[in-house]
Amino acid sequence: MQQAGLLYVDGADTRVWDRATKHSGMEHPWADEVTEKATAAPEQLGVLTPPQWLSRPLRYRQASPLWSDLLPLATVHPKTGGCSCMTEAAEGGGLEQQADAVLTNEKTVISAIGITKTFPGVVANDQVTLRVRRGEVHALLGENGSGKSTLCKILTGLYRPDAGILAVDGRPVAFHSPRHAYDYGVFMVQQHFSLVERLTVAENVVLGMAHAGFRRRGRAARNEAIAAAGKLLHLEVDPSRYIWQLSVGERQRVEILKALYRGARILILDEPTTVLTPQECDQLFVTLRALASRGTAIIFISHKLREVLSVSDRVTVLRKGATVATLDVREQNLSPQHLAYLMVGRDVVLSTRADSASRRTGSPVLSVESVTSENEYGRDVVKDVSFTVGSGEIVGLAGVAGNGQRELAEIITGLRGRTAGLVRVGDRVLKSASPGDAIRAGVAYVPEDRFGTGLVPDLTVADNLILKQFQNREFSRWTVINAEAVASWSDRCITDFDIRGTRRTAVRQLSGGNAQKVLLARELSSGPRALVVASPTRGLDVAATDAVRKLLIKATGAGVGILLISEDLDEVLELADRVLVMFRGAVMGTVDRREADRETIGLMMAGTARDR
Amino acid sequence: MHDGLAIALILGGISYGTPLLLAGLGELLNERGGVLNLGIEGMMLVGAACGFWISQVLSGPSWLVLLAAVLGAGGAAACMAALFAVACLTFRANQVVAGLALTILGGSAGLSSYLAAKGNLGGSAGRHQFANLDVARLGSIPVVGPVLFDQSALVYLSWALTIAVALYLYHTHWGLNLRAVGEDPAAADAMGVSVTRYRYTHTIVGGVLAGIAGSVYSLDLIPSWSNGLTAGAGWIALGLVIFAFWRPALLLVGSYLFGLVISLGFTLQQRGVNLPPELFSALPYLGTIVALVVTSSLWRGRRLGAPAALGRSYFRER
Amino acid sequence: MIRLERRSGVSLAFRVAVPCAAFVVALLVIAILLVASGSNPVSTYQSMVSAAFTSSGGFSATLVNATPLVLTGLCATVAFRLEIYNIGGEGQLYMGAMGATAAGLALGHMPGFVIILGMVLAGAAAGAAWALIPALLRAYLGTNEIMTSLMLNYVAGLFITYLIFDSASYWRNLSSAAGKVYPTGKTIPLAGSWPNLGVSGVNIPLGFIIGVGLALCSSWVLRRTTLGYRIRVAAGSHAAARYGGIRLSRLIVIVMVVSGLLAGLAGASEVGGVAHLLDPTGLQQAQYGYAGIVVAALAGFEPVGVIVSGLLLGAIASAGTQLAGIAFPVGLVGTMEGIVLFAVVSTAIFVNYRVRWTTKSTSAPAGAPSAEEVGPPPTAPSNTVTVPVLNREI
Repeated sequence: MQQAGLLYVDGADTRVWDRATKHSGMEHPWADEVTEKATAAPEQLGVLTPPQWLSRPLRYRQASPLWSDLLPLATVHPKTGGCSCMTEAAEGGGLEQQADAVLTNEKTVISAIGITKTFPGVVANDQVTLRVRRGEVHALLGENGSGKSTLCKILTGLYRPDAGILAVDGRPVAFHSPRHAYDYGVFMVQQHFSLVERLTVAENVVLGMAHAGFRRRGRAARNEAIAAAGKLLHLEVDPSRYIWQLSVGERQRVEILKALYRGARILILDEPTTVLTPQECDQLFVTLRALASRGTAIIFISHKLREVLSVSDRVTVLRKGATVATLDVREQNLSPQHLAYLMVGRDVVLSTRADSASRRTGSPVLSVESVTSENEYGRDVVKDVSFTVGSGEIVGLAGVAGNGQRELAEIITGLRGRTAGLVRVGDRVLKSASPGDAIRAGVAYVPEDRFGTGLVPDLTVADNLILKQFQNREFSRWTVINAEAVASWSDRCITDFDIRGTRRTAVRQLSGGNAQKVLLARELSSGPRALVVASPTRGLDVAATDAVRKLLIKATGAGVGILLISEDLDEVLELADRVLVMFRGAVMGTVDRREADRETIGLMMAGTARDR
Repeated sequence: MHDGLAIALILGGISYGTPLLLAGLGELLNERGGVLNLGIEGMMLVGAACGFWISQVLSGPSWLVLLAAVLGAGGAAACMAALFAVACLTFRANQVVAGLALTILGGSAGLSSYLAAKGNLGGSAGRHQFANLDVARLGSIPVVGPVLFDQSALVYLSWALTIAVALYLYHTHWGLNLRAVGEDPAAADAMGVSVTRYRYTHTIVGGVLAGIAGSVYSLDLIPSWSNGLTAGAGWIALGLVIFAFWRPALLLVGSYLFGLVISLGFTLQQRGVNLPPELFSALPYLGTIVALVVTSSLWRGRRLGAPAALGRSYFRER
Repeated sequence: MIRLERRSGVSLAFRVAVPCAAFVVALLVIAILLVASGSNPVSTYQSMVSAAFTSSGGFSATLVNATPLVLTGLCATVAFRLEIYNIGGEGQLYMGAMGATAAGLALGHMPGFVIILGMVLAGAAAGAAWALIPALLRAYLGTNEIMTSLMLNYVAGLFITYLIFDSASYWRNLSSAAGKVYPTGKTIPLAGSWPNLGVSGVNIPLGFIIGVGLALCSSWVLRRTTLGYRIRVAAGSHAAARYGGIRLSRLIVIVMVVSGLLAGLAGASEVGGVAHLLDPTGLQQAQYGYAGIVVAALAGFEPVGVIVSGLLLGAIASAGTQLAGIAFPVGLVGTMEGIVLFAVVSTAIFVNYRVRWTTKSTSAPAGAPSAEEVGPPPTAPSNTVTVPVLNREI
């Protein structure tokens, strides 16, 4: 039985053809068809015709004249003389032969062959090869910094490769903008959504497309089509709601729907599960498999091994910018350890809490008692939260982003006021909404947006390091700043925390890992009693992650109580002594690390309170 | 007598509110696209000067000369707006300072008085002026007649434009794209909307409307030329756009309200109320401050507010 | 299509060179405008240079014109650095003039330096008080200071016009014969007239010396005191400033008040050194407040640079006054200032970014390393100063 996609009957191909014949201003071709079919009962849908391009005149299927233009771009790797990556199709052989083999394979819908991309000082992609077949979920696995994001940006037309060939449906292409890529059906759902908050779902979906907005009937029909298509694909969404009313998971669904509405045949998802609860993740995987069964090719970027193994058909592992392997998940019965080894090149052992010798926890340094806070709409963002953090203890706060963790952190550190309850550091009660008071009481904060709240990008490292202490007597007297004291202290911090940069370097020029170290240096060297860290290792590579973890563990040795807020459940489970789960501003339950299991925590993250 | 006062006030409000409305509509389109153009005052003055100059220089049937004058005013202001657009959109200049540059350039110490001096505009009355059109002779209906049917062509133009802008913004896909550009240019760009093109066109359209608004002064209200004859109306229009929460309907109400305040002085003086003229002249400015204070405390908890990307230059990131 | 790439490190020399280049470009554009309107640019410029610098008494006249510009330029610099767009320098100048005149008249029989000191303090206080209104509205209610300070300009202008033209106020001269015919202000006593420092044939006004002193002072404060540190942090990131315990509302009020104080001093120096009475018409025609913004922008919002750019624009203004006539109509000065400001503001981008022209086929950017490992996540570059968007919360 031929399986074909509802969504690209007369999809992208037609539009390309139409563009060739200068037919413009057309309504999306399948909109009517979708409405008609989607409002029919699912059983009546039946089998639809295969993609039109197979029956299209040959001239549109042959390699286009671009082929000879692009050939000079295909270079041979200077060091190895061939391709240094392992693929199924060709072992060794020049790029041309490889390309030929790949391009004539009709199952492949998009391929990137020998892609190389360098930025000043770093090689992001080094002769990377990726082939994705129609109707498969293909995972792109690699740690942070391995080049997977860069590769996908090349695939969607945001970057241009320095060398290599990109091909869609067997035709070599050179995208010069994402819009160009849309014509070929290549869409990417990024981590940071491109949705306009003040518009409705329907408005966002049709944004940028020519359609008559005058007719009320047209608008209602479009809403219906969107709702129906959404239901069909397990992407339930209400077209008339505003984006700012939606949760993050719902917004992601709108993004996917947006891509599909425009005729996506290749959907690239960049780390989609970071913002979802485990249950929402499962729902997403159902959606992806449904899309795949209809013929859409899905490229799924991740660094989480478990997800890769559960949803994808094949996985390509990248390491340091090069393809390490492309493996079939089902056939080769992969294990997470095998993948991790491929991903990092060595056995990965990150520092965990279990390693640290002393784990005695002392008297409470931070107590949060029945804290409640409202946002500007009068809704509670933090509801009656109570917990304590002992000296030398790490308390992890798990939960999907947006459930009040950030607000709770802001309340504790004085950046946000509270309407009820109190926060105590040791015996001292903190004043509401006073960052200065929190700083003086010994509360330190490493926020999740390093370059927004934490650091001032244009100032130097030294200037950033004294942000919390510039009024102390050692650094300033009678409002005049003592430049030598600042300089010597900064130098000491730089050596103590192994920061790559001088004290005069502007912070915006530092790498993510070094910027995080500057933040930690600033917070930890002021001798705090309690430290609140949010997403400390997000975006960092393995080495930097390990360094940060070690610093945190070392701090607990000095008696600092740490509140660790992270969306990465693995990190919380590995570092914390106790895990709290927040949902919609309230604490759903507390779990000791020895009894922690993902299912219970996942349920709590989705709102089921634990029986205490 | 009482009726007469109310009617006089309303008519005064409409007369003085029309340039505010026109300039405000232009700026509304601008700001909906995310561009803050502070140079309205300068563009209005240059438009007024050019319009007056054209009306003095050309000869022919009055309506044709006036049409040419209004178009010329719009065109001149559009050139200035184009200069602003190039600076801000291509060279990513700071929009506030660039807008101020436009005001200084066109202001009463700048281009408008330079043109006036070169063209000898000062002191003479306009040869062609807008007269009230008595539409279908309904102008003699008590109360409603003078207000609705006995206005000059520019007033009718402003009404038509208000409706057109409202429909454009909320019922066409161009309007939708514009709103998206003003809220989140990155998202709009990702969806294929050309942020730069939308911003350019709407900045220039804003300029055209500001120029026409300026010509209202020199061809209808005053109607002659003196240095700085708009007396800060451009700035009041800016405040009005904020006061109207970026909606055309509220803008209409607001501009007539402020037109009323401006004309209040003249009307009351005609009735023999004796207060220093500066007090009346100061009322619209004080009123704008009050309106802004009220507005900014109102929206501190609502979802109404400025287009989120207002004033920020947009780079397509990497 | 233009592609922008951030430069990695920028030297001071380069940061100075860019506004200078902008000034030169502006001069070229003005030359084109002069040609288009029938004047000869070369001779116009020559006469301007001679009137402003080389002729006898020319440089002194330039300094006299530069004095209020340096002070209003500092007013704009101090505020704009923090993205507080204080456009009310004009109104604050008027109020400062009013305050200084009142002090000068009231302290009539005191010795000279007491009168002058009184005028300085009163002018500064009046300007500061006038700036306090938009400051408080912005800091505690979030009201856009651009609009409020601007509206207050008009109100202040009307107020001083009222004082002289439509009332029998303390400032108005009702006793002299001329005063009964046409409204003029009372002259401050001779002893209160601000002295000049004579250096090799050039008369340096007291106001200019005060301005230079304050410029150097501001520069030092910005670099070496905690207040300056707070301003630099807040200018870089409001969120980081709050997080570091800096109270933004207080900082905004302080900065606006200092800004108004400087503009008030400009008004005081105009009264004390030039007019010796309250002259609403003259002050309103001069538009020193708005020109101060041009001065500040040309100086790259650096206090020390304000001295130089103040001199430049003072030269233009002085030449404009002296050459006023058919060939040099009154609007030309404002036009020149506007074009200079446009040029400066359009070239500001080149300080931090390199411009590349690309054609459509190569238009996908070479890109920069993604945020994964190197560099901060995409944010608006700090060079592109953002408007305090009207509903910003503090």
